Amino acid sequence: MNGFDSVEDTRRALEAVGYICTPQVATVVFLAAATDKPLLVEGPAGVGKTELAKAVAQSLGRPMIRLQCYEGLDEAKALYEWEYAKQLLYTQIVKEKVRELIGAAASLSEAVERIAVEESAFFSERFMLARPLLKAITAPDPVVLLIDEVDKSDPEFEAFLLELLSDFQVTIPELGTRRAASIPLVVLTSNSFRDMSDALKRRCLHLYIDYPPPEQELAIVRSKVPGLAEALARHMVAAMERIRGLELKKKPSISETLDWARALIALQLDTLSPEVVEATLGVICKHREDARQVAQQSAKVAASS
Amino acid sequence: MVPLILDFVACARAAGLRVSTGEVLDCLGQAGRIDPLDESQFFSLLRANMAKSRLEQERFDRIYHLYFHELQREIEDPSVSIAAQTEEIDAQVRAMAPRDPIAGAIADFLGGDPTAYLHLLRQIDGEGDSGRRGPGANLGSLVRRLPVLTALDQARTILADYLAAHRRQIHWEARRQIDRHIRQRLDSARRLLTEPERHAVSAQGIRRKPPENPDRLGERTFSGLSPAEVDQMRQVVARLVRKLKDAVGLRHAARSRGLLDVKKTLRRAARYQGVPLELRHRRRPPRKARLMVLCDLSGSVWSAARFMLNMIYAFQDCFDRVRSFVFVAGLVEVTGLFDHHDIDRAIAKVLTETDLEYGAATDYGLTLRQFRSACMDAVNRKTTVIVIGDGRSNYGNPEEGIVAEIRDRCRRLIWLNPESEAFWYTGDSEMRTYMPLCNEVRPCQNLNQLSDFIRDLVL
Ligand SMILES: Nc1ncnc2c1ncn2[C@@H]1O[C@H](COP(=O)(O)OP(=O)(O)O)[C@@H](O)[C@H]1O
Ligand SMILES: [Mg+2]
Repeated sequence: MNGFDSVEDTRRALEAVGYICTPQVATVVFLAAATDKPLLVEGPAGVGKTELAKAVAQSLGRPMIRLQCYEGLDEAKALYEWEYAKQLLYTQIVKEKVRELIGAAASLSEAVERIAVEESAFFSERFMLARPLLKAITAPDPVVLLIDEVDKSDPEFEAFLLELLSDFQVTIPELGTRRAASIPLVVLTSNSFRDMSDALKRRCLHLYIDYPPPEQELAIVRSKVPGLAEALARHMVAAMERIRGLELKKKPSISETLDWARALIALQLDTLSPEVVEATLGVICKHREDARQVAQQSAKVAASS
Repeated sequence: MVPLILDFVACARAAGLRVSTGEVLDCLGQAGRIDPLDESQFFSLLRANMAKSRLEQERFDRIYHLYFHELQREIEDPSVSIAAQTEEIDAQVRAMAPRDPIAGAIADFLGGDPTAYLHLLRQIDGEGDSGRRGPGANLGSLVRRLPVLTALDQARTILADYLAAHRRQIHWEARRQIDRHIRQRLDSARRLLTEPERHAVSAQGIRRKPPENPDRLGERTFSGLSPAEVDQMRQVVARLVRKLKDAVGLRHAARSRGLLDVKKTLRRAARYQGVPLELRHRRRPPRKARLMVLCDLSGSVWSAARFMLNMIYAFQDCFDRVRSFVFVAGLVEVTGLFDHHDIDRAIAKVLTETDLEYGAATDYGLTLRQFRSACMDAVNRKTTVIVIGDGRSNYGNPEEGIVAEIRDRCRRLIWLNPESEAFWYTGDSEMRTYMPLCNEVRPCQNLNQLSDFIRDLVL
């Protein structure tokens, strides 16, 4: 499939690969796919930003190429790198040939001249290590390019990305310009550690994913943890909603909900009591103080609506 | 749909959303692909193109609701036309002060075009930021709101008078509709004026969009800020500390690559007929910074201390080994509080739950003695010690010997003074005593100075 037909089709296709989303999310994804616009997805950790990119790739039947960003990420790690070691190794192996080549040279400069003529043998794709961005551009078929946690990269790298996103071509001095055969669908995700530049944002469609509304979270639990009894699932999702209402250092996200659901199954529990909440706190809260707070409020949290 | 979108864009821009022409074109280009009758799709189309941060989204939602819901409200019974009458009232509102932009904006608004009114509100708020400081720093924007409120009330009177005067000419049903229609719009206008925008509180509590122009706040002393500004400052401080952390991390990353280890590289080269194919680097474990911060919370530095607590909290959030203390007369360690609570609660707890006697006279001498007996052992060549305070010790024993001892044991002793330098050597200030003993003394009265400090801080 090369695109989605409509917003509803997008929503259904995503659901078919296990990603459950609101019509708003589906609309923005649909527009991004239909117009080849990069998509900047922001939101708290664990609400399914990365998962969205994977689901889009899967439902479009495109390969996904992922670039994980981090502080200090540079072009060599993101775009391409020459494999010096391999080049050196080849030089060693073809030493004899090189000797022949320069053997008849009258002077040092002539020898250098002769080697220079053969330079292209060493700066060819054979010695190039393609990194995710170059792979995405040179891929023969359209791909989904996930640039994950772009907020962790440095501003300089962001500027470089911006250039790439505007014309989808790179120039490798030794080899010339590579232009994308087909524009990849680019999904950038951010936890808003820092704000992206206006220029980058202007390039992208923007999507903010928040903690899901209860019905949606319930649907996610149903699809990802099918073994959980319906009533318990409902109860748990309602409790999660209340926990998010507390003033926590780190609010639990969808991943925590799923972990919690799995824990309840593993412990073979079929109701959610304050005691159960307290016993399974470790799954929901990463911070000790958060856990203490939830434990304090466990009666309220576990109330059956 | 194109004129509608363009009209909305004008409105959004008037409300301060920065929508570029490119984004408008994108939006128009995509409009044909959605089902325009499905509002959720239409809304998502506009929002994905025009609001590209959490804060902008909130403003966008507000304007969207105003434009597409409040102002487009259907008039109940289309068979009763009230257009002529509402236009007449419009004209009267405009005429109440012919050259006054406020009257004009309200008249436009009643007529369904909120652009001028939104623009007006923006000016009111924009000026609010640079208004007077000191107590009642908010007064400026309140005062500027007042004429608008008055004008809205006047418009309401005009409406009532008009309806009363035309009781005979206009059917009661039409009168009722005119009244409802205009009153709803006046209510919308009033709400925009009086209900301040909520600030997006994101998942992590303090992670909000940084203020657009922090420099404007940079020179203001900490003591003269409105609550909203305090909030902005906090975000700037948190962001700075995070940057600092990143910078430190980067240095470690660069260093751990390290220098070329010639010996190892040559040994390796033996495998490749003497060609150094694999370069080997010396690895050095990164130096873990240790930080101890002592913060004066007494009344004389109170307004600045609030920010300092924010900074300390951010430090502790970002770095592994930070110990935080606060003092007035006597020292209390608050590391645990900061570790286990979100920032607001942590600060509230520092102020309410520690054994600190806020009313007591500041005693640097006692504080230092307590520090020596409790923590001096933990101070070593890796520790950076930061003292925040004005050094006003109510003529008690300054115990400068202990300061010297700390300086000798630690890596670096830095003193931040939130008081204006002009007063450092007056009254009960011991700065003259402490200053020569520190590795570094800095004034720290406003955000710029605090930022400079955070930036320069090499742990
Ligand atoms: N809408 C969704 N439908 C199905 N699963 C979801 C959804 N959102 C999140 N998840 C699940 O939550 C987990 C965390 O999602 P992830 O994409 O890693 O979060 P993020 O990238 O936003 O931090 C994933 O394991 C995923 O299975
Ligand atoms: Mg992720």
